[in-house]
Amino acid sequence: MNDLHWLTAAELAGAYAARKVSPVELVQSLLERIDALEPQLNAFIKLDRDAVLAQAKEAEREIRAGGQRGPLHGVPVGIKDIIDVAGQATTCHSKIYLQNIARADAEVVSRLRAAGAIPFGKLSLHEFAIGGPSFDLPFPPARNPWNRDHHPGGSSSGSGTALAAGFLPLALGTDTGGSIRNPAGNCGVVGLKPTYGLVSRRGVFPLAFTLDHIGPMARTVRDTALALDVLAGHDAADPGSAAIPHGNFGADLERGVRGLRVGFVRHFHEQDVPAHPEVTAALEEAARQFTREGALVRDLQLPPLQELAGVSRIFMLAESWTVHAPWLRDRPGDYAETSRRKLMGGAFLGAGDYVHAQQRRLQLSDAVNAALRDVDVLLCANSLDPACRLDDDAELARTYPRQARSPFNLTGHPALALMCGLSTGGLPISAQIVGRMHDEVTVLRAGAAYERATDWHTRRPPLENTSKAKRKPAAVS
Amino acid sequence: MAVRKTSAFAPDVDTLARAAGLDKALKQFPEDVALAAQSAASARSAAGELDQVAAEPWPPMQVRK
Repeated sequence: MNDLHWLTAAELAGAYAARKVSPVELVQSLLERIDALEPQLNAFIKLDRDAVLAQAKEAEREIRAGGQRGPLHGVPVGIKDIIDVAGQATTCHSKIYLQNIARADAEVVSRLRAAGAIPFGKLSLHEFAIGGPSFDLPFPPARNPWNRDHHPGGSSSGSGTALAAGFLPLALGTDTGGSIRNPAGNCGVVGLKPTYGLVSRRGVFPLAFTLDHIGPMARTVRDTALALDVLAGHDAADPGSAAIPHGNFGADLERGVRGLRVGFVRHFHEQDVPAHPEVTAALEEAARQFTREGALVRDLQLPPLQELAGVSRIFMLAESWTVHAPWLRDRPGDYAETSRRKLMGGAFLGAGDYVHAQQRRLQLSDAVNAALRDVDVLLCANSLDPACRLDDDAELARTYPRQARSPFNLTGHPALALMCGLSTGGLPISAQIVGRMHDEVTVLRAGAAYERATDWHTRRPPLENTSKAKRKPAAVS
Repeated sequence: MAVRKTSAFAPDVDTLARAAGLDKALKQFPEDVALAAQSAASARSAAGELDQVAAEPWPPMQVRK
C-alpha cells in the first residue's frame, strides 16, 4: 500500500483489520517521512523512536491475535508538549520547564491509551501556549508545510504542522484563545475546540482556567469525530468537567445538511474587523456551498467581534498572570520576548476589571445562545488573513489578533475549523462552524457535509518534491 | 445606563509594575513591561460597557455540595 502517511485514522482501522497494513509498517513509514522532512519543519520537541516502535509491535501482536483495545488501536497520535505523558518532560516549549517530568498521564492521554492509540512524540507549540513563533527558546518554532517561511499558526503549531506534513493522522491540541483552530486553519487541516468541560483538562498545564479547552486535530472531520469519541467524558478530578452523557459524535456524519439552518456571521469579517479579500471571498463561497447542499443559510447578528474578543482577553491576561506571576517576577529573562509581553499584561488589570469581564461574559454568552436558538449552527471566519511570514514580527503582531476564534473560548461553544480555500500565495484559508453547547454532533455533521462537497481536505502541501533531496535523520531522538 | 466609566487618572506604569513585583522585569525589559501595560489597557477598553448596574457576574456563587 502506497502513501501510508496520508491514511486517516478511520482508514487505518480498516486496513489493520483487513491486514493490508500493520501498525509497525505504518510507524516505520511515518518515521521515514519524519526523517526526511522534520529538519525543515520542526514539528517535534521530542520523539522517541524506540518507544513508538515498541508500542506499534505490541499493537500489531494484539491485533493479529484478534484483540481490539479500542477504535484507535495502533493509531499514532501526536501530543502537544503542554500535555503530560508519564515519564516524559512536559516542557511547554520553555526554558522554565525543561526538566518538568510528568509523573502521570494526562486524562486525555490515558483515554487515548485505553483506546489503543500510540502516543507519538511531543509536539512543539508557542511557549506556554501563549507566545508566538520565537527564535529565543530551546527549540525552534514549527514551520508551515505549505510554505516553510510562513507561520503554521499557534499555539498548537507542531500539531498543525505534523498533520499537514503527513507525519501523523491525529494530534492533540489545546485552545485558550484559538490555539487549535489557528494552526488547523493555517495548515489546512481540521481542528475542533469542543464545548467547555467536555474534555478533561487534568494533566494539561493551564493557561487561563476558564478559557482552556483540549481537543482533537486531524485531516478529516470523520477522524476528528472518532478522536472526540475517545477523548470526551466526565472526569471528577477536573472541576470544570461536565457530567453530561454523550454518544457517538459521528452519528450524523452522513446525514447531509438539507434543511439545516446556518447563521452566517458576516459582520465579523465584513464590518467588525474587515478580512483580507481572499478570506472574504472564500467565506462567501463556503456559504454558497452550504446553500447548494440544501442548507438554509441566512445572515445572523452576534455582538461585535471586538467586544467578544476584548472580554476574552481580560480573562486570558488575568488568569495567565496568576499562573506565571512568580516566574515573571523571579526569572523574566527565561521567557521568550513575545511570551513575556503577553503574560505580564495581567499585572495591570484590577479586580474590578475581572468582575466586569465576568458580568460581560454572561451577557455575551446569552446573546450567542439566543442567536443559536434560531439556527442550528453558525458559519464564520477563522483567521482574517492568510498566514504571514514567520520572521515578520510586525505582520505577526498585526494579524495575530485579527481572528474570530476567541469569542467561543469566552462562551464555551463548540467550534470546528476546516479549510475552505487557498490564497493566491498558496496558503490555506479556513472557516469555523460553531454549534450549541454540547451539540458537537451537528457541528461535525455540517463539517462532514461540507467536506464531501468540496476537495479542500484532499489538497496537500508541496513537500513531496523536496523530501528525497533533503533526506537526513531528524534532530529528534 | 452605562455604569462603567474610564478614569481620567492614568496610573504610572512603573508604579503598577513595582506593586505587582515586576522590579526585575522593569529593570531588564522596560519596553516589554510598557507593552504589557498597553495591552491590558486595550483589552479593558474593548471589553464594552454594561447596561445594568446589577448584572450578575458569571459564574454566580453556588455552594459546594
